Amino acid sequence: MESKLFNLTTPLKIIVSITIITWCIIALFPLLWIVVMSIKLPVDSFASNPLKVIIGPSTKEQVGGLSFVNFIFLFLSIYLFYKLYQIRKILFDLINPILKFSLITFFILFILYITISFILFFLIQNNLSEFVNILFSNLEFLKIFSYPIIGFTPQHYLSVWVGNEFYKQFLNTMIVTGGVVTISLTVGTLAGYGLARSNSMIAFWLLIFALIFRALPHSVLVTGYLEPFINYGLYGKKIAVIVLLVAINQPFTIWMLRSFFMNIPQDLDEAAQIDGCNPFQAFWKVVMPLMWPGVITTGLFSFLLAYNDYLVAALLLDGQSQTMVPAIMQYFNMETKMTDLVESIAAAASITAPLFLLVMFFQKQIVSGLTQGAVKG
Amino acid sequence: MKKSTFLVFTMPSFIMMTLFIALPLLIVLIQSFQFNQDVLETIERENCDPFGCKTETITVPVLDENGNKIKNNIWVGFQNYKNILKFEQLSSVISNDGFEWSKIRSIDFYKALRFTLTFTFITLPFVIILGLILALCVNVLINRLKGPIIFITLLPFIITPVIGALSIKWLFIGDGILTLFLENILDKDIALFSQGWTIEILMLFYRVWHTIPFAFVIFYAGLQTVDKEKIEAAFVDGANRLQRLRFIIIPHIMPLIVFVALIHLMDSYRVFDEIVGFSASGFRISLQWMTYDFLRIDDSGTRSIGRASATSVLTMIGIIIILIPVLRRTFKEQKEKRL
Amino acid sequence: MKKILVLFAIFTSFFFLAGTNAKACELNNSVPVTSLSAGFDAWKVVTSAMEECGNFTPTLDQEYRDKLVASLESNPSQFTMAGVSASTNVSVLDAGVTRPLDDLVAKYGDSLQDNQKIVIDGKIMAIAMMTNAQHLFYREDILSDLGIDIPTTYDELLKAAKVIKDAGVVDYPLGGTFKSGWNLGEEFVNMYLGFADSFFDGNMPAVNNNDGYETLKMMKKLTEYMDPEYLTSDSTYVQQQFQQGKIALANLWASRAGAMDNAEESTVVGLVKFASAPKAKKNGKPASTLWWDGVVIAKNVTDEEAEAAFKLAMVGLDPANLGANPEAAPWLSNAFDPAPSNIGAILTAKSGAAPYPASAKMSTLHGVLGAAIGDYLTGAATAKATLEKIEADYITAATEKGLL
Repeated sequence: MESKLFNLTTPLKIIVSITIITWCIIALFPLLWIVVMSIKLPVDSFASNPLKVIIGPSTKEQVGGLSFVNFIFLFLSIYLFYKLYQIRKILFDLINPILKFSLITFFILFILYITISFILFFLIQNNLSEFVNILFSNLEFLKIFSYPIIGFTPQHYLSVWVGNEFYKQFLNTMIVTGGVVTISLTVGTLAGYGLARSNSMIAFWLLIFALIFRALPHSVLVTGYLEPFINYGLYGKKIAVIVLLVAINQPFTIWMLRSFFMNIPQDLDEAAQIDGCNPFQAFWKVVMPLMWPGVITTGLFSFLLAYNDYLVAALLLDGQSQTMVPAIMQYFNMETKMTDLVESIAAAASITAPLFLLVMFFQKQIVSGLTQGAVKG
Repeated sequence: MKKSTFLVFTMPSFIMMTLFIALPLLIVLIQSFQFNQDVLETIERENCDPFGCKTETITVPVLDENGNKIKNNIWVGFQNYKNILKFEQLSSVISNDGFEWSKIRSIDFYKALRFTLTFTFITLPFVIILGLILALCVNVLINRLKGPIIFITLLPFIITPVIGALSIKWLFIGDGILTLFLENILDKDIALFSQGWTIEILMLFYRVWHTIPFAFVIFYAGLQTVDKEKIEAAFVDGANRLQRLRFIIIPHIMPLIVFVALIHLMDSYRVFDEIVGFSASGFRISLQWMTYDFLRIDDSGTRSIGRASATSVLTMIGIIIILIPVLRRTFKEQKEKRL
Repeated sequence: MKKILVLFAIFTSFFFLAGTNAKACELNNSVPVTSLSAGFDAWKVVTSAMEECGNFTPTLDQEYRDKLVASLESNPSQFTMAGVSASTNVSVLDAGVTRPLDDLVAKYGDSLQDNQKIVIDGKIMAIAMMTNAQHLFYREDILSDLGIDIPTTYDELLKAAKVIKDAGVVDYPLGGTFKSGWNLGEEFVNMYLGFADSFFDGNMPAVNNNDGYETLKMMKKLTEYMDPEYLTSDSTYVQQQFQQGKIALANLWASRAGAMDNAEESTVVGLVKFASAPKAKKNGKPASTLWWDGVVIAKNVTDEEAEAAFKLAMVGLDPANLGANPEAAPWLSNAFDPAPSNIGAILTAKSGAAPYPASAKMSTLHGVLGAAIGDYLTGAATAKATLEKIEADYITAATEKGLL
C-alpha cells in the first residue's frame, strides 16, 4: 500500500534521476580531478584538452601507465576492500564480547583494518598485477591487455611524502587532532551529562552562552591569545593550538553530547543511585556504556574541526610543528616549477584520503549525529 | 540532579570556556582600545652590503637585556575603531559626491562587511532549497542506492575547506578545463580570476557546494520522521504531491530548516578559508580575513594587534545582531522546555 | 609498473635508512639544522647541497616573510637559520633575533669575499650569496621579426607591446609580477624610483605627488597589455607565461632568468634574452631596485647548532656548488664567470638602479602600497583617491607602530 502511495510518475522519476546524477557529478568531480592531475606529469596535468589530462599521453610515454590488467586488479582490490568493509560489523561483533567494546578497542580495530587493507592493496597492485602483466605481455594473443592505457606516475606522491618528509606534518596533525578530540570529549561528556540532567538556571544560561560562543569567528579567540602565547613562549607549540581548538569546539560538543544524553532515560541513573551508586558511579557504569555511539559521533566532528583547521594553525604553528593544511598552502608558495605545482596537488589529494576513509566507516554516525544535534537541539 | 553534583560535572567545561573563550573576549575588548607598540629609539646605523656602505638614521625597537623587544600598551580610546571605520572619510564621500558605493568600497572594513553579508545571505536560500530538493530525491530512491549516494554527498562537507576551494579553483584558473569549456560554449575569452564578481560567484558556489550535504543530512533525517498516516490522509483527500510537500512536510521539518539556517549563518559569517583557497584577497575580503591579516606579521616585523582586536569586536557585534531573532527564539524555546 | 615496485621498495626502506642518507658532502653533519627561506631556484641550489650533508631540513616558502620574525623570535627559535633579503634582513635586525657571525666567519668562512659580508655597525650579521633585481626579459625572435629595438624606456616598451599585439604574435605581449600584496608593492617601488628618488619626507610618506601619479598611470598602461588575471600573477606565473610562449616582454627577477632555458619546462629555450630594466623617464635611472639575498643564523639557538648551521651554509655557498649552477642567480662570487642569464642584473646595476631603501618605514609603506593599488588598476578607485588612501593608511599603520 505504502509503495503504491510513494510510486512516482515517469516524469518525476526522470527529474529525480537527473537531479541526483547531476549532484553526484558536481560533488565528486573537483575531488576526482585533483587525483587525476596528481598522477600525471606536469605536461599532461596542465594540458588544455581534458582527455589528455585523463589519458596522459606524455606520462604514458615517459613513465608508463596502467594497463587493462592493472585496472582489473585495481577494481578487484577495491571490491575486496569494500567486502572487508562490509564484514567489519561481523568482525566487531565477534570481538566485542571478548574485548568489551570501548573507544580504544574500536580505535585499534580501525587502525588494524586500515593497515591490513593497505598491505593487501599494495601486495595485489604491486606483485600480483605486475606478475600477470608480465605474463600477458609474453603471450602473443593476450599482449594487448598488458599495454598501458592510462598514464600513471606515483612520483609526486613519493616526493611529497618521502622527499619532502610530509609524514612529519602528518604526525603533527595527528597529535593536534588527537589532543583536541581527547580533551574535547573528556570535558564535554561530563558537562553534557550534567546539562542533560539539570533544570537549573545555571544550566540554562550556560547553554545559551555556549550557543553565542558557537557563533564567534575563530579569529576573535586567536586575537585575544596571540600576544600572551607569544610572550610565554607558546608560539610554535602544539599545545597552544590544541587548547584554542578545544575551546572553539567546546560549545558545539556540549550541545551535541547533551542531546545524546537526553535520549538516555533518566530512570536508568536514578535506579542505579537507588541501588547504591553515587552519581559518578551511575554516570560511569550505567550511562556511559550506552553513550559510546554519541561519543564517537561527537569525536568525529571534533576530529573534522581539528584536522581541517587552517586559521589557528597558520597563525600559531611554524617550522617543525606545522600541520598539514598550512604546509600545503606553503607548498603552493614554494612552487617555482610546474612539477612543484603538481606535487602540491598530490599533497592536497593525499590529505583528503583519511577523510575519505572516515566517511566510509562512520557515515551512519555522521548522519545520526547531525540528526541528533538537530532534532533534539 | 543535585546542584553540587551538577557543578562538579560541568566545572571543567565551564572553566575551559571561561578561560579560553570569555577571557580572550575580555582581552580583545581591552586590546581594541590600545596600541600595542614596540618602544622605539632613533639611532645611527652603519650598514655595509654588496652595494656599498652607508650610515643611516633609523628608528629601531629598544631591546631588553635578553634581546627581546620591549612592548608598550598605550590607551588610545576609540582610535583603533576610528582607523577601521573611517567615519570622516565616509562622511566626506557621502556629502561630497552623494552616495557612491565604489567610493565607500575603498575603505576595507565596508568592503569586507559588504562581502561577508552578501556571502552569508545569498548562500542561505540556495543551501536550504537545494538541500531540501536533494533530500526529497534521495528519500524516494530504492534502499540499495541510498547508502552510496549519501556517501558521495557527504564528501564535499567533510573535505578540508581550503583544499576543497583549491580543487574548484584549479578547474577555473587561467586556462583551467572548465574555463576552456565555458569559452567554447560562449565563444569568447574568459578570465574568471581577473575581476571580483566572478571570483565572488565561484566562492559562493564553493560554499553552497560545501554546505548542501549538511542541509541534506538534516532534512533527510527529518523526512524519516514525517507522519505517514497524515500523508496518506492527505492523499485520500486528493492533495497532490506539491500540496503534500507544502502543507505537511515543510511544516513538519520547519524547526530543522531554522536549525540549518542558524548554523549556516554562524558558519558562513566567518567566511575565511575561501579567501585563502581562491587567493581572492586582492578582490574580495571578509571580516574574519581582515582580522587574520592584521594578526599576520607584516614586512617590518610587527602585528597590528589593536586593529585586529577592534575588527574582532565589530565582527562579534555583527554576528550577534544577525542572530538576535534566532537567539530569542531558542531562548524562549529552551525556557519553555524547562518550565 | 615496475617503477612503482621499485619506488615502493625505496619508500619502505626509507624508514630504515632515514638519517644515514648523507652523500656527496664531505661534512658529516650530526646536529639537526632547519632553515626558512624563499623558494626560488637559487635557494633550491643552496639548500639541496646542504641537504646532502644530512640532518638538514629546509623550508622553502615564497611568502616566508609572513612568519620570519615570529618564528625566529620564539625561544628556542623555530628555525636554526634563515634566508633573508635586503628588506627582511632589516626586520630581523630590528627585532634582534639574529646573531653576529664574526667568530664563525673567522673560523670557517675562508671562501667568503668581503662583499658577501653584511656588516652592521662593525659586526657581520648576514652572509650575502647573490644579488637580484627585476630587469627586462624579452623574446629576441619576436622583436627581431617585427623590427623592434630593445626597449630602454617604458614608453618604448609600451610601443613595442602595441606592435606585438597588433601583429597578433601573442595575445598578451607583457607579463608583470602584479600579484596583490608584496609583489604589487614592489612594482610600484621600482617604477616610482624611476621617476623620483625618495619615498619619504622626514617621517611622512612623499608619494602623494606628481611622481606617484605618473607611476600609477604607467602601471595601469602596462596592465592593458597583460593577461587580465594580473592581480594573481607572481614571479612563478610570469616565468611560466614566458616558458609557454604566451608573453614577449616582462620585467622579471634576475633569479628567474635561468629557468627560461630549462629544456624540461620551457618551450622557448634560447629565445629569451635579457637587458637592463627600462627607464621610466628618458634620462632617468632604471625603474628597478637592487637586492641581495643571504643567510642569517638565529640568536635563540645553541652555539653548537649555530656552528653546525654555519658550516652547512658554507657548503651551500661553496663557490664550486654555485659555479656548477651559474644560471640559477647572479651569485656573489668571483670564482667563475657570470652566466649569460646574469647579464640583465649586471646591466641594471651598471645603469645606476638604486638599492632597495630597506627600513622599518619602507616595509610599512611597501605593505600599504601592495594592498591599495589593486583597486586603482581594476578601476575601482581613481589615482587621486588611491594616493590619498596610501598616505592615510601609512599614517594609520605608522602611528599604531609608534613610527610617527
